[in-house]
Amino acid sequence: MIRVKQLIAQRGSFTLGPIDIDLGNSSYLTILGPSGAGKTLFLETCMGLLSPQKGQVWLDGQEVTQIAPEHRLISYLPQDLALFPHLSVRDNILFGAKRRQLDRTQVEKRLNELLELLELREVIDRKDVSTLSGGEKQRVALARALLPEPRLLFLDEPFSALDATIKRQLQVKLREVNQQLGVTVLHVTHDQEEAFMLGEKIAVMIHGKFRQVGDRDDIYYRPATLDVARFLRNQNIFDLTVEAVLPDGTLQLGNRINLTGPGYAGAERGHRLAAGIRSEEVMVIRPNKPIGPELQDNLFQATVEDILVFGGTHTLCVKLSGSNITVDVELPNCAMRDLGYDIGDDLQICLRKRSLWTIPMSCEPSTKENVHADL
Amino acid sequence: MLPRDTAFKLSMLLPLVLLSAYFLLLLGSQSAFFKAEGFIDQISRADILSAIALSLISATVSSAIAVCIAIPSAYALARIDFPGKRLIDTFIDLPMVLTPIALGTLILMTWNTAIGRLLSELGLTLPFTLAGVILAQFTVVVAISVRMLKSTFEQINPRQEQVARLLGCSAFDSFRLITLPLAKRGILAAIILTWARAVGEFGATVMVAGTAKGQTATLPSSIYLAMSMADLPQAITLIVILIGISLLVLFGVRLVMERKS
Repeated sequence: MIRVKQLIAQRGSFTLGPIDIDLGNSSYLTILGPSGAGKTLFLETCMGLLSPQKGQVWLDGQEVTQIAPEHRLISYLPQDLALFPHLSVRDNILFGAKRRQLDRTQVEKRLNELLELLELREVIDRKDVSTLSGGEKQRVALARALLPEPRLLFLDEPFSALDATIKRQLQVKLREVNQQLGVTVLHVTHDQEEAFMLGEKIAVMIHGKFRQVGDRDDIYYRPATLDVARFLRNQNIFDLTVEAVLPDGTLQLGNRINLTGPGYAGAERGHRLAAGIRSEEVMVIRPNKPIGPELQDNLFQATVEDILVFGGTHTLCVKLSGSNITVDVELPNCAMRDLGYDIGDDLQICLRKRSLWTIPMSCEPSTKENVHADL
Repeated sequence: MLPRDTAFKLSMLLPLVLLSAYFLLLLGSQSAFFKAEGFIDQISRADILSAIALSLISATVSSAIAVCIAIPSAYALARIDFPGKRLIDTFIDLPMVLTPIALGTLILMTWNTAIGRLLSELGLTLPFTLAGVILAQFTVVVAISVRMLKSTFEQINPRQEQVARLLGCSAFDSFRLITLPLAKRGILAAIILTWARAVGEFGATVMVAGTAKGQTATLPSSIYLAMSMADLPQAITLIVILIGISLLVLFGVRLVMERKS
């Protein structure tokens, strides 16, 4: 569907790429990255709104790098929606179909389909788009983008200005659109929840380059680089050294803390690495409960130093006994109520081996390194 | 309301009241010289009718040309990056800071160069011609038009043009179908203000085209002529006409601006 080869683009002093990506039909890719990572610049270059310095963009096997945006059959939903305020709701939605002179019967059919799917029947006859609510504007802009049956739909942080409830409703709707209409979507966001909820595949972009591309679990549980781990809010990261490589590939790690962790190709005694675990993967061992075989490794006594409340979850900041290492432990409210911990309480935690990730320090990328993605 | 709030509001209102009183004094002081019965006689005089007609025609043509040139120029300054943009942007403002007499002198001197002589030979002569009046007015007002329209185009979200491109518009179509309609009120306001400034233009017009009665004497230059000949009734009549036209135009601008907001 879309293939990008060694794409390099420049805006001011910022350089994007080189980027390589190959995205198949009907797939849904979210590009996740912090603000200023170059996500919008990447979309603009693929759409032809900005000429790349180097590289190629291919759509359906045809090179389109030098083709004008209007001939690429890509639809675009920007962050601010960019509805046309001088046109009615109907004219906004039909704008692309009129410009492309599509068959009127087909257009009517598609319009009805979209009005149904996006629940827009009640507002289609509104003359003034400024009278629409935030969610309605979003759906009108989505209908306008989908009506001309684009080859690709590019979404640039489309829900960032909405409140949580409407945002969730629209995210569900967007998944429905992707599944029912089979349109290929490239969705840029800095919202991790949104990226993981919608993307079949996720590409993490940092400093203008793809640092990691993969499915949800890969990205979430096995970050490829430290900057990906940090961006994905991995709070518990330890600087360790390989002390032994066990026959099954498991590593004995040590430095200020001793851990048993997953191995990696080429691991050798003395290698420096970063190991980490997500705060929600840290197990709190209930007092007086038998400990299962998979929880025998990486058990630590700790003391609660602080408790942070985040609505539905609590984060316990616990200090490991005999060291000054602090580990964040995330507990859902119900578990927290059962356990009833308070600051100063002692507890036992387990950093489960299967939940740990390890990244050799030698693999930490420079800003020039990049990941090629075939999806 | 808190006493401090009242004091603040009064401190803001007082200069406004004083300013309005000053303008009313300027206008009211003329009532002693203004005779309604003589006004009709004055206004039907051929030279005054000619001054009104010349002012209206020259201001309309010069402001129309100015806006037509200002629309693409302002769009280029607002949207397109090109080498020397900042320099050109500053350069365009020059007519706004130069006194119109200096601008008129520059135009006259240009007509003494080889290019000017060539243009004269081709029939574009300036002294005592309508073309001279229009060129002088155009030179003074075009910068105002560019400045106003640049600000209008800058306020339009460029994403709207980009979305239109992706929905099938060429660059020109997206300008025609999205940018121009969204800039409509800004363009209208620019037309009105440019026209008002052109109607009131005096310095450059006098320098370039002179003040020949029935030929190049506009309303402002006719006021100057009447005053220099101590013909106070005629000067006051012309001032009243100019005030009438100006008030109409300024009221039009206010209406446009209010609709815009």
